[in-house]
Amino acid sequence: MIEARGLSKRYGDFVAVEDVSFQVGGGEVVGFLGPNGAGKTTTMRMLTGFMPPTDGTALIAHHDIFAEAQAARRSVGYLPETPPLYPEMDVDGYLRYVVTIQDVPRSQRRAAVDRAVERCGLGEVRRRLIGALSKGYRQRVGLAGAIVHGPPVLILDEPTVGLDPIQIQEIRALIKELATTGRDHAVILSTHILAEVEAICGRVILIHQGQKVEDAPLAELTAGGRKLEEIFAHATARDVVAPGEATARAEGSA
Amino acid sequence: MKRIPTVAARELSSLFVSPVAYVVLTLYALLAGFFFLLGVVSFVETLRQAQAFQAFDFLQQMNLNDTLITPFFGSMSVVLIFVIPGITMGLFSSEKANGTDELLLTSPLTVWDIVLGKYLAAAAFVLILGALLGFFPAMLFRYGDPELAKTLAGLLGIVLTGLAYAAVGCFASSVTRSQIIAFILAFVILLLLLIMGAVAELGAMGNAGWLEGFLGYLSVGEHFENLAAGLVDTADLSYFFVVIAVSLLLSKAAVESVRWR
Repeated sequence: MIEARGLSKRYGDFVAVEDVSFQVGGGEVVGFLGPNGAGKTTTMRMLTGFMPPTDGTALIAHHDIFAEAQAARRSVGYLPETPPLYPEMDVDGYLRYVVTIQDVPRSQRRAAVDRAVERCGLGEVRRRLIGALSKGYRQRVGLAGAIVHGPPVLILDEPTVGLDPIQIQEIRALIKELATTGRDHAVILSTHILAEVEAICGRVILIHQGQKVEDAPLAELTAGGRKLEEIFAHATARDVVAPGEATARAEGSA
Repeated sequence: MKRIPTVAARELSSLFVSPVAYVVLTLYALLAGFFFLLGVVSFVETLRQAQAFQAFDFLQQMNLNDTLITPFFGSMSVVLIFVIPGITMGLFSSEKANGTDELLLTSPLTVWDIVLGKYLAAAAFVLILGALLGFFPAMLFRYGDPELAKTLAGLLGIVLTGLAYAAVGCFASSVTRSQIIAFILAFVILLLLLIMGAVAELGAMGNAGWLEGFLGYLSVGEHFENLAAGLVDTADLSYFFVVIAVSLLLSKAAVESVRWR
């Protein structure tokens, strides 16, 4: 469903992401881990078509993000770190706008919005202005916006940040349900909460200083009683010097 | 392309949900009323004096179009450089501030869908302003007999000026995430476009070279005045078209640059 092929993003000498490749299949929920500034958001933004990679490419539901940009973007549901909401719109109007710009055929829009509202538990706030909603509800509206057009690929950037424990449970259950029903969704979610990974992810991809340092099923990683915290600490302890940085440093000292 | 109206409709409705649209419409209507009343009062006064002095030649030349409507449109075209930036400042900058640019740029919308959709919303607002303004000279037809064609040409001038300003405002909004910066930037560019004519005239006092001609061509005032005087010429019409096209191309480039940075 998702195939990253050597994704790299450089800003001049600064290397944000270097040669990251991985595959995510249908029905999988992959936890995207890494310290702050490791390149998680940048990688996600490249997959969603928000910014192009400097090198490499990716396939989203078999569509190349360059060659078939529109088809690839249509196949992704993306929830950025700050949900992209218009405070002056009501929930229903927002979701109707999203299904329209996501090319859902006119006859299916109503049903798509109803389904997203129901799945994300937004029934009571449908007519409320988004600006007047609590943070938890806004997060759910953002998630509803990401799934409303029924994309096969979901990319969620810290979906549970700022929610209360009960809301966190609900969102996790929803994500799990999305991925497992029909096994047709591939989900990537980034998070800092390791317990969250243990709760919903089947696989872990660890990014450190822009490079992939770990990519394994959760069961395999934690086999033998190893804790995810230890693995995380171990993997991010050493410096990964990216080739670009190395040359930059060499030039700097010369 | 079929998604442009969707983007435009959302933009327009959010303009009317926020107070900006109402504030702008109210202030514009108030100013129009003020300038119009001023025009009518001074017209009547001039008429009275001309009669008292029995200046028949002067009276013969005096008419509602040249003495009242054209100067009125002229004042209101200057007011537009304050008003239009207020409408366009949020077009792109608020998307960036809200993070909704991530929604738009990761959706199947093309950059042109976004830019033209937003411009269409601003253009619709300009038409509302034009309709509002048309109401004032329309009253004169009830009590006098101004020339219809000349009046309509002036109104066309105002609307085209507004459309060109909206495109410039669109560009200003596309390069920043701050609405205030977008407003100031648009205002400064429009002011420059407006005073370009005066600069050109100053330069031309010696001998008019190609630079003066070029600056004069860039100036909005010259083209607007021709229309306001009732001269509908393709050279002037194409000027507005060029300003709109260039501004929208620059806006598109600015929106796209987010993807390529």
